[in-house]
Amino acid sequence: MDKGSLAIKKPLQGMRIADFTVHAAGPFCTHMLALLGAECIKVESAKRLDVFRKPHPVYGRMEAASFAQVAANKLSVQLNLKHPRGIELAKQLIAKSDIMCESFRPGVMERLGLGYDALKAVKEDIVMVSISACGQTGPERNYSGYAPLFGATGGLGTLTGFEDGPPVEMRHVMDHGTGLTATAATLAACFRKKRTGKGQHVDLAAREVATSFIGDALLQFAATGKSPGRQGNDAPAMAPHNVYPCEGRDAWVSIAVAQEPEWTGLVKALGRPEWLSTPRFADAVSRWQHRHELDREIAAWTRTRTREQVTQLLQSHGVAAFPSYNAQDIVDDPHMQSRGAIVDLSSWEGESRKVVGVPWRFSRTPGALDTWTPKLGQHNEYVFGELLGLNRTEIDALVEQEVIY
Amino acid sequence: MFETSNDAPLAGVIVVEHGKGVAASYAGRILALMGATVIKLEAPGVGDPLRYEPPLLGKSRDSGALFSYLNLNKTSVTLDVSRKAGLDLLDELLDRATVFLDDTHPADRSSWAIAPADVCERHSRLIYCSVLPFGAAGAHSDYRAYELNVFHSGGEGYLLPNGLAIELFPERPPVKVYGHFAQFVGGTSAVCATLAALLVHAEVSGQFLDVSVQDANVALSCFNIQRLGEGVLENRHARSFQYGGVLECSDGYVQILTLEQHQWEGLVKLMGDPLWAMQPCFRDSLDRGRRGAEINKHLRAWARTQAVEDLVRRGQALSVPLAKYAEPADILASEQSRVRNMFIELDMPGLGPIQMLTAPFQFTLPSKVSSYPAQPGADNSKIICDWLGHSRPELERWTSEQVV
Repeated sequence: MDKGSLAIKKPLQGMRIADFTVHAAGPFCTHMLALLGAECIKVESAKRLDVFRKPHPVYGRMEAASFAQVAANKLSVQLNLKHPRGIELAKQLIAKSDIMCESFRPGVMERLGLGYDALKAVKEDIVMVSISACGQTGPERNYSGYAPLFGATGGLGTLTGFEDGPPVEMRHVMDHGTGLTATAATLAACFRKKRTGKGQHVDLAAREVATSFIGDALLQFAATGKSPGRQGNDAPAMAPHNVYPCEGRDAWVSIAVAQEPEWTGLVKALGRPEWLSTPRFADAVSRWQHRHELDREIAAWTRTRTREQVTQLLQSHGVAAFPSYNAQDIVDDPHMQSRGAIVDLSSWEGESRKVVGVPWRFSRTPGALDTWTPKLGQHNEYVFGELLGLNRTEIDALVEQEVIY
Repeated sequence: MFETSNDAPLAGVIVVEHGKGVAASYAGRILALMGATVIKLEAPGVGDPLRYEPPLLGKSRDSGALFSYLNLNKTSVTLDVSRKAGLDLLDELLDRATVFLDDTHPADRSSWAIAPADVCERHSRLIYCSVLPFGAAGAHSDYRAYELNVFHSGGEGYLLPNGLAIELFPERPPVKVYGHFAQFVGGTSAVCATLAALLVHAEVSGQFLDVSVQDANVALSCFNIQRLGEGVLENRHARSFQYGGVLECSDGYVQILTLEQHQWEGLVKLMGDPLWAMQPCFRDSLDRGRRGAEINKHLRAWARTQAVEDLVRRGQALSVPLAKYAEPADILASEQSRVRNMFIELDMPGLGPIQMLTAPFQFTLPSKVSSYPAQPGADNSKIICDWLGHSRPELERWTSEQVV
């Protein structure tokens, strides 16, 4: 595409990504970039199917996913990287791209002949993004991992959980939090390239992203020798600060109070004026010391009301409250729909489904979610033919040789 | 005026950060670590309320750990934008800035004349990035929310804990992720939006960016929405891995997750090829998925006889995805952290040299970490006099009037 002739519609319109990522963290990064308008070409192979294209019994999913959010808005091309000709074609694709993103174990790209130095030889200003469990350097660089392991080694899972219970495993949000951080780093590298003409290699370790979420705890430990430990739903100096049961099955509302006006608002909303003169609730310190008692009283009040009733009443009194949303609540929420954070998307067969939309609103250059998860190799013709200039006979031969596979 | 290497990604980008919340402040931290000049505006006198939020790093009541972490590499100016003279100074700053990062509640924005439409009209080249719990538009845009509330608005709050914790405490309420996870995610999302707008700034000039912490967290939780589309409403009781997960060892906890066949085979070898695992009914991954409870019973009994460090080392050598639940002490002392320069020693007034975490990404050239604003308004003179060109007597007058 001719970048110069494009009217700007999306922030990354005219940029192309050669996407060699699999699973969740890397694909989330490139999905975000695709929402911003980049043309993202997902490089796949029948020899190495991505996780959503096959059953996932450990998650309890016994068949392939019918839709994969992190693969939406992308093009799919089949390329066998175990074949020398596959590597050649990968380089040709990268030469026509602005960003190359990968999530192999450190060292694999070099072994394939697709390390940063090799890529620079075919595309001097390429922005290469490597997303791995522990980073490209260090004695643990080859450690394998998934989201719960990133959360464990990064410390976030260690500090999450009930005070008297075990650590809690982080799930997809850890993968996707890594991907989001990688998106930010990739965009920064692209901005530098635009400014200076120089590409670079961005190295992102998922465990370090997990660690970035506990930076304050690390600082506390470094300065005082004390770890905050697992705190359940407690927050220093805030009470009430918990999740309370409401009317209905497994229905909960979160309530948090920090300042005096919020406390008096809560007291008024609950109709408990005597709490204002009770020494045990006299100030923030006293309330925190008696927080379990306070929790019991509030739970008795919320239990006979819906989450929505509690939220509306407390918000009208200046108190921070919100339901504990499940997936159904999110897709049904008119607020989310009005923001385009939840949108309807059609499958290739015409099925419509509510999916997650673009998480940002730009006044002049909005992003968009346009297309469903691609079928494996759906865009082989476009990429090998139109983009790389191969003719029909050459493409057929590559299919026959299991290079396009 | 501002010392930044031209090789830093955001060299030359000036950000004015006006906020009290964690999300906007975290966005400022990341932008600063990418090389932007971030001018943090604080309330005259007391400064950012987060300075006082416990836990504290020292005896001083303004030594909050969270504030210190969030404000690395920033420049601090005190300014009361609710007053005319303060607003005028803000306009002067925004005339020279590229990005305005703001989390003021929508009602206050209007009364202080910093509503997006007003600011964008006065500063057409400015990228105004609004960071609010539920965004600047929509029925919930004026809702109050702290970390706990916004975390639960995103879908993940409903789903935690899972695994061993929910087995042990099935009747307890959901539990949040440690700290300010949801807001850090919101801040990172704001960085993405800002950088995307910077990439087209030369072509389209300024624009308004509406970033919602809830939207960012829903995006992270997209797998749950995806599962809903497949007819599965996830809940924390049923979401646990079929087998593996958190395992208690003799001296701590590990996490194990074997998704691939070769990883399972490595685990069997790690356990010493026990007879139960060699049975045909555990060979196929789908069968294992159906017999998760039985596998867990064996796994947990075995894990209790193992020491964490030794187990992780032997497991990873067999390509078994296995990790220690690391404590802060482990992370600070680890060789991996040292080799990757995850921490830098920063001299903090009253505390001495302290290990401070740097950026969660590595560019070809490392992020430069230089300082943090020890006092509110530490850079008033540098910014207002040296940069904006006002006289010292003017600054003194504004200071005495508590505009600055």
